[in-house]
Amino acid sequence: MAETSTARARPRKRVDRWRWAGRIFLGLMLLYTAVPMVWMLLTSIKSGFAAMQLPPQWWPAEPTLASYQKLLDPQNSVGADFLHFFWNSLIVSTLTTILGVIVAVPAAYAFSRFRFPGRNFLFFAVLLRNMFPAVIFLVPLFILMRWLGLVNSHGSLVVTYLTFGLPLSIWLLKGFYDNIPIQLEQAARIDGATRFQAFLKIVMPLSVPGIIATAIYSFIGAWNEYIYAYTFLNRNDQLTLPVGIQRFFSENTTDFPGLMAASFMMSVPVVVLFLVLQKYFVRALTEGAVKH
Amino acid sequence: MARVVLDDLMKSYGNFHAVNHVSLTVEDGEFVALVGPSGCGKTTTLNLVAGLLPITSGDITIGDQVVNDLDPKDRDIAMVFQNYALYPQKSVYKNLAFPLQMRKLPRDEIDRKVKEAARVLDMTHLLERKPRELSGGQQQRVALGRALVRDPAVFLMDEPLSNLDAKLRVQMRSELKRFHHDLQATIIYVTHDQLEAVTMADKMAVMNGGNLQQYDSPAQVFAHPANMFVASFIGSPAMSLIPLEASTVDGNIVLTGAEGWSLPLSSFNSRKIQNAKTRKVVLGARHSTIKLHKTAVSDAVPAKAYTVEPTGDVTFVQAFLSGAIVNISVPPNVDVAPDEQIWLEFDQERMHLFDGETEMAIKAD
Ligand SMILES: Nc1ncnc2c1ncn2[C@@H]1O[C@H](COP(=O)(O)OP(=O)(O)OP(=O)(O)O)[C@@H](O)[C@H]1O
Ligand SMILES: [Mg+2]
Repeated sequence: MAETSTARARPRKRVDRWRWAGRIFLGLMLLYTAVPMVWMLLTSIKSGFAAMQLPPQWWPAEPTLASYQKLLDPQNSVGADFLHFFWNSLIVSTLTTILGVIVAVPAAYAFSRFRFPGRNFLFFAVLLRNMFPAVIFLVPLFILMRWLGLVNSHGSLVVTYLTFGLPLSIWLLKGFYDNIPIQLEQAARIDGATRFQAFLKIVMPLSVPGIIATAIYSFIGAWNEYIYAYTFLNRNDQLTLPVGIQRFFSENTTDFPGLMAASFMMSVPVVVLFLVLQKYFVRALTEGAVKH
Repeated sequence: MARVVLDDLMKSYGNFHAVNHVSLTVEDGEFVALVGPSGCGKTTTLNLVAGLLPITSGDITIGDQVVNDLDPKDRDIAMVFQNYALYPQKSVYKNLAFPLQMRKLPRDEIDRKVKEAARVLDMTHLLERKPRELSGGQQQRVALGRALVRDPAVFLMDEPLSNLDAKLRVQMRSELKRFHHDLQATIIYVTHDQLEAVTMADKMAVMNGGNLQQYDSPAQVFAHPANMFVASFIGSPAMSLIPLEASTVDGNIVLTGAEGWSLPLSSFNSRKIQNAKTRKVVLGARHSTIKLHKTAVSDAVPAKAYTVEPTGDVTFVQAFLSGAIVNISVPPNVDVAPDEQIWLEFDQERMHLFDGETEMAIKAD
């Protein structure tokens, strides 16, 4: 656009000012979220002594990867534990995510497409879970798990995380399915697909961003969960990362670089997940499907 | 190809009847246009035939088979959706190929048919695009193409040309007509555009409020509208409908206007009035069947010109008569001014008489 009139230049200046205000706000937010992480990263490459110094050594004088080497070395007892916890967390979170998607996809689709008796009540009931803080269910669920013989097994966590993650997953996915025009499925069925094929070949691919969003959401929920893992698991070889890190680094040692290195490593899978999958969030896939 | 029979078809949502006791037969190879105002149940009817909606009652037969409980895929139909419903993740090529793939055609045959359809619809250069990269008109042609690649028993088309520009629409209209002629395809075609219905269809089904109003050839519907709704809906500008009072003066039947004038009727029209159950009669006349006089002549009734709209070929004059607005077309050289006193002469052969109470056309016998 050519700047031809002064009348138009004025409102643009105001827009610019808002844009700058927005940028400054975003910058502050970035600082707020990034500083702890940067600090974590910096501490993790210090020596144990340097990490304790006062006034703090802002920048590590002699950066070292010793903590990481220790954590990743299965021969070292700390490393063996850490890798074991990491593996446990990976198993629990992956199982939670996969099972969550397997249950949430058909449930959300049914809520979106079918009118059946009790539909609204059921949908409300599903969401009701999210209106209470998770700790409320700690004791009842513990009793239930004992009764089911699941205490001290990863199964207890997977089941629990599923019940916590599913309501929001279903709700989120239902929103995605609501936005996929029903005529697409109808067209597919006329073109020779069964109802299931229409879902699988046409609707499923379009809901991939939703599925990925819910998958990331369940994975992070399970990956970071602490209270239930702390309560349901007692055997050391079963602990997941949050509990494991807490027990073996913060209680028994003052190995801050080790703790920070472990914390940093714990955030790696989530970041990788985001980076790999972010391209699916970019735009709505249904663009161009129907006339507006 | 097959014939399609709707028998007492009903689709109700609670107390609301979107399709109300509709019965009609589309013969094998016939092109039937479904017309009616917005919300009258056209799309619903198509969806019922396609099997996308469960019917409330009645029967649908395609070929020799009652298809009430058949899945859409087993009804051997192709459909063009009103809002296109293109698969957004697939290229144009794959959109066109999908129905063929689902029917397990060999790959080279699919390729041949897709390219043939693309050629007919003039979109060979668009085959690799995604739907979102197309204009509205191009999207519509893809939707049409996805139906035309197949060889189904029946084509269902929901306003397939509505979003094309005038030139393309005329071109596609002839392509479709040609297509129908070559394949002897059975087509049910929903349209808002009467010209489309008249130029392409063998028969026209006029719907209103879920009810089938008339089902006949376009010429018949035009010449003999079954009721006042059809009369006013079909034809542009709309047929003028003038409420009058029938009475007998000196043994002759006349129609009297609100202004007090009387119009004597021909013997044929008089016979119709004798059959009528009511004295309240509505006179229907198309613009071209009314003669405008600038001086009083016998059998012409007085009116006042209201607006004058020259369009080039013809000039449309609107006049008030007996509380109704009457449309008259005159040659462009006839000079009429608003508020001018004029006289209107109705063509007795081509006038329509409706029962003012039932709104149905009055029959001669
Ligand atoms: N699920 C539904 N529940 C209730 N009423 C419905 C439903 N679907 C459609 N209707 C009603 O049925 C009537 C017919 O709808 P339909 O879509 O068949 O109209 P149409 O003739 O295709 O109109 P248009 O020319 O605007 O496309 C409308 O009045 C509509 O509001
Ligand atoms: Mg419609």
